[in-house]
Amino acid sequence: MLRLAVSLLLALPLLAASGCAAVKPWERDVLARPDMAWEPDTLEAKRNSHIRYSKEASLPGGGAGGGGCGCN
Amino acid sequence: MMGRRFRSRRGAAALALATGLLLGTQASAAGVGQKAPEFTAPALDGAKSVSLGAHRGKVVYLDFWASWCPPCLTSLPQLEELRKQFPSDQFQILAVNVDQDPEKARKFLERTKVGYPSATDPKGRIPETFGIETMPTSFLIDRRGVIRYVHHGFRKGDVAPLRERIQKLVATRDK
Repeated sequence: MLRLAVSLLLALPLLAASGCAAVKPWERDVLARPDMAWEPDTLEAKRNSHIRYSKEASLPGGGAGGGGCGCN
Repeated sequence: MMGRRFRSRRGAAALALATGLLLGTQASAAGVGQKAPEFTAPALDGAKSVSLGAHRGKVVYLDFWASWCPPCLTSLPQLEELRKQFPSDQFQILAVNVDQDPEKARKFLERTKVGYPSATDPKGRIPETFGIETMPTSFLIDRRGVIRYVHHGFRKGDVAPLRERIQKLVATRDK
């Protein structure tokens, strides 16, 4: 009985993990919107990144790319 | 002994389940040398349907695009130029638009006119069948419906090598 309970307990997270679906390349419509970008203003983000790099003497962590369409 | 066997069986079952779940999320992509999957979908302009099979016997360049994808928008005017360089009875460009809101694609095509048909597939059934991995992705299909080349992404310099590939396929007369 205990073994069955443990097995079920192990199987449940696996089943839950199967519910995580990856966004397909053709489904990035909404993610590609400018307001979905990490940094809405690319120029501002690049400038901030440069300042951080100069002041902290370390490599900046974030990128300053476009939206989330993954195609540019 | 029995307990150890039980544990190893359970472990193997869990491993098989996890592998199955992971494999279940992988789509099989249509690749070079394979027959291009057939499809018929409504045309974006509402005129007729767009069908791949209707162009059997011609070399077909099948392009998946969306109005939210900047490289796709770069490619459309250049593909239109490419289309004009080959006889229409030998070469055909077909496009599949995957915008969830087809109106956005229609608005883009009002500004950037192209002479080849575009199907609309907001549910993404056709790209699913082709198993595309990036946007845009294009397939160069020979006269017999076999995929000869898969093009991922699009840059301005891509047209010249593409033209050469199309020329070679158009020159091949076997049907």
